[in-house]
Amino acid sequence: MIDYGGLLVALNRGRVEFIIVGGFAGTLHGSAIPTQDLDVVYARTPENLDKLVAALGPHSPYLRGAPPGLPFQFDAETLRNGLNFTLSTALGPIDLLGEIAGGGRYEDLAPHGRTVRVFGVDCLCLGLEKLIEVKRAAGRPKDLVAIADLTALLEERRKPRPPSA
Amino acid sequence: MSISNELPVPPLKDPVIEVLMKDVDRTLLRENLKLSPDERARRLVKLLEAAEEFSRAGRNLENTS
Repeated sequence: MIDYGGLLVALNRGRVEFIIVGGFAGTLHGSAIPTQDLDVVYARTPENLDKLVAALGPHSPYLRGAPPGLPFQFDAETLRNGLNFTLSTALGPIDLLGEIAGGGRYEDLAPHGRTVRVFGVDCLCLGLEKLIEVKRAAGRPKDLVAIADLTALLEERRKPRPPSA
Repeated sequence: MSISNELPVPPLKDPVIEVLMKDVDRTLLRENLKLSPDERARRLVKLLEAAEEFSRAGRNLENTS
């Protein structure tokens, strides 16, 4: 099972520049749809690639679903030569995304992020409006239910709340 | 060209989404909105742990029957 706290603490302690997107971002906003992996968009600066390798390297990252024994090296060169990586780690599955449809790169998404404290660390999470926009732009049938859930969530969040006692 | 420029965002009112929204359980969303992001994350972890426990129990049942 995924250790969300372990993954986020590892990235945070490694001072990796990343923003949480996907289903777990929906969870942080209040979505009721469970998710079982962590999707992050990471900055592709040379410094950040090194930080990413240092942060996740000790947790045995490997290409998710690939047969064992492939000559996969989780290093800065591999990250530089690729863009999006779906990985398994000892802490659970993580998708490292260099760019996403409808959202672009880390630099494009970061202004739409908000810092949330989760599992004892501060992380940047994509804002709800932008999250919906990104999922709509991706145009994947599997996202339709999530888009409906997030749009309803946005409506609920915009409703005036009764004053607390 | 960036991926973000390749795909047009569909119109805001999507009839498919409108239909699916009728099935969203808003009571769950309202409960979640009372929680902090950290509490929501920890609730998800508990849910996944329970699901794994159920799955394990199911497998054990299959092996013993």
